[in-house]
Amino acid sequence: MASQLIREWSGIQQFPLATQTKLLELLGKLKQENVNSLTILVMGKGGVGKSSTVNSIIGERAVAVSAFQSEGPRPVMVSRSRAGFTLNFIDTPGIVEGGYVNDQALEIIKRFLLNKTIDVLLYVDRLDAYRVDNLDRQVVKAITDSFGKGIWSRGLVVLTHAQLSPPDCLNYEDFFSKRSEALLKVVRLGARIRKQDFKGSAIPVVLVENSGRCNKNDSDEKILPDGTAWIPNLVKTITDVVSNGSKAILVDKKLIEGPNPNDRGKILIPFILAFQYFFVIKRIQHAIKDDIAKESRPLWELRDTGLANRKF
Amino acid sequence: MASQLIREWSGIQQFPLATQTKLLELLAKLKHENVTTLTILVMGKGGVGKSSTVNSIIGERAVAVSAFQSEGLRPVMVSRSRAGFTLNIIDTPGLVEGGYVNDQALEIIKRFLLNKTIDILLYVDRLDAYRVDNLDRQVVKAITDSFGKGIWHRALVVLTHAQLSPPDCLNYEDFFSKRSEALLKVVRLGARIRRQDFQGAAIPVVLVENSGRCNKNENDEKILPNGTAWIPNLIETITNVISNGSKAIVVDKKLIEGPNPNNRGKILIPFILAFQYFFVVKRIQRAIKDDIAKEDKPLWELRDRGLANREF
Repeated sequence: MASQLIREWSGIQQFPLATQTKLLELLGKLKQENVNSLTILVMGKGGVGKSSTVNSIIGERAVAVSAFQSEGPRPVMVSRSRAGFTLNFIDTPGIVEGGYVNDQALEIIKRFLLNKTIDVLLYVDRLDAYRVDNLDRQVVKAITDSFGKGIWSRGLVVLTHAQLSPPDCLNYEDFFSKRSEALLKVVRLGARIRKQDFKGSAIPVVLVENSGRCNKNDSDEKILPDGTAWIPNLVKTITDVVSNGSKAILVDKKLIEGPNPNDRGKILIPFILAFQYFFVIKRIQHAIKDDIAKESRPLWELRDTGLANRKF
Repeated sequence: MASQLIREWSGIQQFPLATQTKLLELLAKLKHENVTTLTILVMGKGGVGKSSTVNSIIGERAVAVSAFQSEGLRPVMVSRSRAGFTLNIIDTPGLVEGGYVNDQALEIIKRFLLNKTIDILLYVDRLDAYRVDNLDRQVVKAITDSFGKGIWHRALVVLTHAQLSPPDCLNYEDFFSKRSEALLKVVRLGARIRRQDFQGAAIPVVLVENSGRCNKNENDEKILPNGTAWIPNLIETITNVISNGSKAIVVDKKLIEGPNPNNRGKILIPFILAFQYFFVVKRIQRAIKDDIAKEDKPLWELRDRGLANREF
């Protein structure tokens, strides 16, 4: 393993002291369990706040964000290290474009991830979206088909724009709870997760507010409407998921390309050919010969056969 | 014309006095120009705030609104009358479902509108959406294909969630201006509007804030972040569009069903058949006869012909 020059996580010093302390505690805990690097894959539709979330956690403008356009079609890996711990964030382009899952973007992402190990998946969407539909299901299905169902055991659902004012007649908690439920339902459908697969430990849903207008508490930490400091909360949920006993996803050639369709059932070919020969071809030939023997011949054929002996 | 029992626009009394005055002024101006009724069609994707906008204008909960589900498949017409003026607002189901334009919903809407006249189209979307894509263009195209390009001369673009806090690094005015420009561009593309069609009178873009948390001015009117009272502003823009010289859209059978595909080019059928007969069929027949005359005949055929005269 060549030692690479990974940048120092200087962005962490931007955070208020309380947040820094909590983060370093969490990383320390992971190192005790012999985990000294985390690779976090961030995916979702376009325009939901994936790049903003990565920038918030890194503490600097590591990935370009535009309010109106998707950034390029390529994934970007942002690596920072601190106190012997390395954090790798992989920010991806939105995989929905104009009503379809963008297969080309998905291919580019898969190729980018070749030979990397995904420790955590952040599936990002907006808290303030009011419809969940088949498109969301297709996004989840595309992720599941690409990386396997197991990725959801290492998945978090991240809802951005958390500092939302809910619609009239719904308080914030109810809105959050219904929104989470609707989105989790679609994730279970799209990934074909049966209830028993999760045995009570459902996919955690974490709120995030990336704007500069995020409210702060007395320690100057960015907080959610319920008072939780969200950056340590997100990192804590990530560490909980890493320690939940599931396996990280190794993205190898086999996973990316899928089983070679050319290999499927090749062994059956000789058997199928033998079956066809003995049970089908021979029977038909036999039946044809019987028919030929039985048929009554037309005069011209009799003539011809007889005449083969005569001269003209 | 049977006189129907149209409900009194009692909701207008919910509005603060300043708003009521402005609204009645605007309606009186329309009556001066001999316009005593307005039919407004509200369309757009799902979950953008169409029903909420209708309820805000009517001043009561005339149409059901749900934060998470689309309301039924059917359009709803809400009619209210006041001071001799009748307002008809037609709220429609969202046209997009799971990444596709929902043709069935479009058909139901067209059938609902049969024999009605559309004075105004409100194309509704959210101000706080960060991507515009091909799906938006398809929605606009579907509306244009259904009602004709002329509907855009009587159209307004309505952006909901106007009391938004813009993303960092953009002030509200810039965000609004970029968002409008992006959406108008897609409308022009989807409706195939050329620049000269509009001669400077572009489609107006109006901001709207339907939540109860909307800020208010000293007269207790709901205002946008720039201080404009939005309900009178919307109605005023509507009256300006009415008086801009364009024609209302009459939704008759011909518009809805389109030209009968069975009638297309029927008259050409005899000509095509004649062409096929003289230039194709006869030539091929002649070529076949020539080939038959020229070919070498095999012995058995010669024999057969000769032998047809012999006895066996």
